[in-house]
Amino acid sequence: MKMKKFLAVCLSAAMTLSMLTACGGSAAAPAAPAADAAATEEAAPADDAAEAEAPAEEASGDVQEITFMIWDDLEASEDLITKGYKDSVDRFNKDFEGKYHCTPITTNLEEYYDKLNALVAAGDTPDVFIASPGANLNDYATTGVAAKLDDYLAADGWKDTFTSDAVFAGGTYGDDGGDGPGIYAIPLNIAAACVFYNTEMFADAGAEVPKTFSELLDACQKLQDKGYTPITISAGTAWCLSMVAGYLCDRNGLNLQDIKDHKTDWKDEKVIQAGKQIQELSKYFQKTAAGDDNDVATAAFYNGDAAILIQGSWAIGQINGSCAEGFADKVGVFAFPAVDGSSADPNRVIAKSDSLCMSADTESPEAAIQLIKYFVDDTASKYTAEVGGKIPVTNVQYDEKVAPPELKYVMDVFKNASSTFGFYNESLADTEAGSTFDNCFVEIFKGQDPATALDPIQQYYEDNVW
Amino acid sequence: MDKLMRNKKAIILFIAPALILFTAVLFVPVCKAVYYSFCNYKLPGNAKFLGFEGMKFLKNYKQLLTKDQTMRIAFRNSMFFMIFSIVTQLIFGLFLAALLTNIRKGRNLFKNIYYLPCVLSSAALGLLWMFVFTPRLGINQMLASLGKWGGDCTLGPQWLFNTEGYIILPIWVVSFVALWQYVGQSMMLYMAQISGISSDVYEASYIDGCSKKQSFFYITLPLIKPMVATAMSLNAIGSLKFFDLIYNMLPEGFLSHKADVIATHLYTSAFKFRKLGYGSAIGVILLILCLIMTVIINKFVKTENYDM
Repeated sequence: MKMKKFLAVCLSAAMTLSMLTACGGSAAAPAAPAADAAATEEAAPADDAAEAEAPAEEASGDVQEITFMIWDDLEASEDLITKGYKDSVDRFNKDFEGKYHCTPITTNLEEYYDKLNALVAAGDTPDVFIASPGANLNDYATTGVAAKLDDYLAADGWKDTFTSDAVFAGGTYGDDGGDGPGIYAIPLNIAAACVFYNTEMFADAGAEVPKTFSELLDACQKLQDKGYTPITISAGTAWCLSMVAGYLCDRNGLNLQDIKDHKTDWKDEKVIQAGKQIQELSKYFQKTAAGDDNDVATAAFYNGDAAILIQGSWAIGQINGSCAEGFADKVGVFAFPAVDGSSADPNRVIAKSDSLCMSADTESPEAAIQLIKYFVDDTASKYTAEVGGKIPVTNVQYDEKVAPPELKYVMDVFKNASSTFGFYNESLADTEAGSTFDNCFVEIFKGQDPATALDPIQQYYEDNVW
Repeated sequence: MDKLMRNKKAIILFIAPALILFTAVLFVPVCKAVYYSFCNYKLPGNAKFLGFEGMKFLKNYKQLLTKDQTMRIAFRNSMFFMIFSIVTQLIFGLFLAALLTNIRKGRNLFKNIYYLPCVLSSAALGLLWMFVFTPRLGINQMLASLGKWGGDCTLGPQWLFNTEGYIILPIWVVSFVALWQYVGQSMMLYMAQISGISSDVYEASYIDGCSKKQSFFYITLPLIKPMVATAMSLNAIGSLKFFDLIYNMLPEGFLSHKADVIATHLYTSAFKFRKLGYGSAIGVILLILCLIMTVIINKFVKTENYDM
């Protein structure tokens, strides 16, 4: 009996102790000794603006923990841009050791906004989070989730390090901003949606780089006749198809603002025409386009199974990060072609920037801003261009000889662009409207009459927008 | 013990932990969901009650039941999935249970084999089966390598992408995968009940000239009816709120919500489109459906208690 009591007491004590240990384990990282912190300061490169501000000597013992949420796995991703983001976080943690510490929260892209929204709803918004300008960013900037960043940008001439005010356009809000007019997101880099093509396959098939939609169809026909799969695309990941649809709508002369203002609607002849063109183009898609997700579809291009990939310039990071050696040299880039007979500007480019927001509720705004600075400092911006192959947003001098050759082509497309516009599914009234647009074009791809297939988006706007 | 059970303080003390947990984890969230379903609640904003004037607080329900095309599809798919699950799991679960209770060698081995999928992660299984049914891999690839479709696996059935028909092929595929995954659970329930039937009853029936088949239909089936009702209720509720395999196996974008079930529609509305009020209304409808199905099954599957 005594033995039983003794055992019971021991077990209870062990349980209580383990609970206490579990509760107290992760409150804060142990403070770095001052000597370590000083050593870290020495290690930081002197030419880096952000790093120069790292006051590592102030390691007081109270490490300020911040969280950073991103749509890719920082540890496992082969994407070179993601690797650059990881490097920024690592440099921040190293330089501010003992003062600040950033813990990344990672998830895959498809579930990113769902999880971020769940955290926002739970009152646990990450201190810094990545977002795409458009409907997604609107939700955070106009409701007070994201903080206004003008004061931080104005301090120490940080804003002057960016190429122009235009790079902030996607994150700038007027009176609808949650904290008044201002900038709510810092762009990290710019990606332009272009057409990547396999130069060897084009040469073998005798296809020319197309300038118009009919020339694109001709080139596809030649590639198909030669036995190549002309275009690889994912209809399983609906935004891929809707990116092409967005280009076709734009090339046919559709102005999204006119739809927003209800000067026209989704049954506009230009949208229907874009639908018909998607159906024409889909004859040249890989047979499994319906079922392939974006990773499978892009892999078909990277593996040399298809000649054309219509994708954002983030593909450069993937081409140079995970493709077989020598493949990158075969890749060429051209702008999405004009539509024959259309008076619309054929030099407009779909552009997208990864942007960082700071939570309006963060308890460590200084730490959060320092972290954001590490994503756009010279080291990060040089990496963006020279390794990641994306267009940097700061005035950094990068070595064009070192940068991936595709970046030059993308830069040429970007320089020749008369203006930019966003991905259609991210530029509509809200995320549901974007998803409805995506679904409509999937139905068109499947063969439904475009005029009928557009009913859901028309109905959505009638019920919720106009 | 009897003395203890008459002590009100002791009763309260024993009930309190479960009651507090139930209230905090289940009752309060359900009440909140009901309240949110009467609100205009879109993330990242706050919940705003729609008001009593002109029954405005029912706006989410009106939208859901009259205008939402996806809800109609989701309801149809969920009903199909529920009926399919109830019928197939009853038949196959009973068959396996009867089979395994009658074999002597390897009973535990087969019991574990059939039950194994139940304890595996649905997310992992969803991905596994997705690969099996992906056009370039799995079944199509295997059949193509045997010469089917001229060796071109892309010409085979689009198991997860065909959107033709009243109940589309992907829903049939997921239904069969769910049957494979959960039939072991039904089997275990029936086996537990069957093994509780006294062997005396069977021996008496054999003496009276009963065949094995007759003893199954006239002894086993009537005696396990209470478990049939329980298993059917569990299947009905489980399949109505079924989510994981649909979410993990099917490409959301390409199917344009044609493969949605009520739970995936709830998830999409609440977390993708951030309409928590609307999502809560779907949740309330789902709860009501589960309650109705439980009542119906308990009412129509008449059970009598026998001393076994």
